[in-house]
Amino acid sequence: MTMTSLSQRSIANFVLDHLVWFMLVAVLIAFSIFIPKFAQIGIYANIIEQSTFVGVMAVGLAIIIISGHMDLSVESVAALSAMVTGILFCSHGIGLGFSTKPEWLVVPISLLLSLLVGGALGLLNGFFTVRLKMNAFIVTLASYIWVRGLVVALSGGRSAQDLSPSLRWLGIETILHVPLIAWIAILVFALFTFILVMTPFGRHITMIGGNPIATFRAGIKVDRLLIWAFVIAGAIAGLAGWLLAIRTSGATANLGTGMLFNAFAAVVIGGVSLKGGVGKLPGVYAGVLLLSSIHTAINLMGLPAHYTQVILGLLVLAAVLLDTVKHSIRQRFT
Amino acid sequence: MKRRQFMGASVAALAAAAVGTPALAESKGKIYYMVPTLLDEFQTESVSAIEKFLKDVGYEPVTLNADNKTDLQQSQMNDTILLQPKAIVLAAVDFNAIQPSIEKARAAGIPVMIFDRQITSTMCDFTSVAGTVEIGYVAAGEAQRLLTERKGGVKGKILQVLGDPADPYTLDIQKGFEEKMKPFPDVQIISLPAMQWEASNAGTIVADQIVANPDIDLIFNHAAHLSVAAVAALEAKGKKPGEVMMMSSNGAPVGLDLIRKGWLNVEVEQPLYAQAAAIAMFADKVVNKQEIKPGTYNVLGLESNLAIEAWGPNLKIPGAAITKDNVDEPRFWGNLKAPADPVKSVE
Repeated sequence: MTMTSLSQRSIANFVLDHLVWFMLVAVLIAFSIFIPKFAQIGIYANIIEQSTFVGVMAVGLAIIIISGHMDLSVESVAALSAMVTGILFCSHGIGLGFSTKPEWLVVPISLLLSLLVGGALGLLNGFFTVRLKMNAFIVTLASYIWVRGLVVALSGGRSAQDLSPSLRWLGIETILHVPLIAWIAILVFALFTFILVMTPFGRHITMIGGNPIATFRAGIKVDRLLIWAFVIAGAIAGLAGWLLAIRTSGATANLGTGMLFNAFAAVVIGGVSLKGGVGKLPGVYAGVLLLSSIHTAINLMGLPAHYTQVILGLLVLAAVLLDTVKHSIRQRFT
Repeated sequence: MKRRQFMGASVAALAAAAVGTPALAESKGKIYYMVPTLLDEFQTESVSAIEKFLKDVGYEPVTLNADNKTDLQQSQMNDTILLQPKAIVLAAVDFNAIQPSIEKARAAGIPVMIFDRQITSTMCDFTSVAGTVEIGYVAAGEAQRLLTERKGGVKGKILQVLGDPADPYTLDIQKGFEEKMKPFPDVQIISLPAMQWEASNAGTIVADQIVANPDIDLIFNHAAHLSVAAVAALEAKGKKPGEVMMMSSNGAPVGLDLIRKGWLNVEVEQPLYAQAAAIAMFADKVVNKQEIKPGTYNVLGLESNLAIEAWGPNLKIPGAAITKDNVDEPRFWGNLKAPADPVKSVE
């Protein structure tokens, strides 16, 4: 093999591995040139901020999909977590207005509660899927429905508003024009990228998604790891709900509706294989940013929002097509 | 032994309950209320109000939630028709799609009363509405007033945040609002929908637009819960209450709270209690198929006009603009003080 063909192959591999980032850059450049008022720091910061909730949700979803399973409940789990935060720490509507002394304690307490709510629901999903060998699609579809029902029942259809200022500041204060909640999302991506790539847990989860039987025969406790994956996905969805409550200063019964499909789209666009065993979280984050950029562009152009869904659908289709094409391109260079 | 005692106590309790519920014993029959969703405060409170008022006039209310699904509401209508209730109160998910179900119910001899969401494409037995297009009119009047007060004339930039673009309710408000704003060419209206009426979508729209169009003078959200997210977005951009004028429609409690805090200038209320009370007031006439006469009726203190339209008797109850000056008045449903006095059937 010549040096030229080697370098061609490595370039091709690099481009194919980071295709979604190239797409994101191309889209941002195109929007900045052609859409009036798009090219400004405030809009780029908005895109990062708007990626927060779907992005965090997509992290948990991606982990489950990489492990070879499915979690349709993340949206409803986030809504429940947001509602619990809203009910406990909002002072108007159905909010009970609980406060802590010192006031800053409200941050760790509410965060812990959200993680516990999400984690508990994840454990339930994991128990039914792994221990009782029920289909994850059906189990989490059921959770998607009953947990949203629980949100409506808990709230009575009413909303909680006016979140404690000790929590709200996380949605208001910025570092480098980006709100703190968006930094939290970036940290979550960084942390779980590290976990998936650098820790035995992450590597085993990917192995399970690729071939659970071979992984089991290699002496890895597949069932236990899968249950942990569901718990982590639930807890991350709880975190997404906590962030959502902070962003909207409360919670309504329909909060987060539709985010599941955006999270799915981001995961697929980000290169995670629905068959399991393949996928990297940075690509998922690029997918979320790409979707947020398109949403923002449509907002600024004043296009009817129906187009967002059309574009989103076509983008997911294009991502899957690209994934297919990627394999044949790779083969050409090997 | 314990089990036998428990059984005995249960039987006694059931017997006592049966004897001790004269209202049920004297019930004039069941009336089904088809609520479109329970995901917003207007609809949630409408259930309490309609159930309370129908009980006042002797009916037994049963509520079915369609969860914003047209097909589900159609199925519920079909099932309910088989149960032969005295009447159906309908707040439609989709004004047009539900038309065949209304016709089917009426053909089966079950009167259909329309609540809140007007249907003009087929005959109904009674309609009680504030008028969604009219809410747009009231909102436009208030927008003109606010712009004049701040800018010395009806000019400036308005961001209109609609609800879900598939919901005729929001489209009607938009129609009314834009119709009344049309004579003012110096007003630019940017209209964007918050998909699925989801609050964070409204927040995103406001966050983007306030960066791209920092000269926005007024934001008009089509529901109060959208205003909460809009306020959060403005707050995150360093805005103070009143800096950008804001109004919303439906009169929900969250909207009234935002008025008190100075973030919201106007809330255009749908007179929920009066709309619900009117259903109960005319229930006897509708159920007994008696003539309903046109004219002016007093519904919970509101002068309301009943006209016989092509689609049947139509009672229009005026919506009101809620501002800082009148926000605490108990007549507004957003204060959640439902009238305690029982309503009476019209003679």
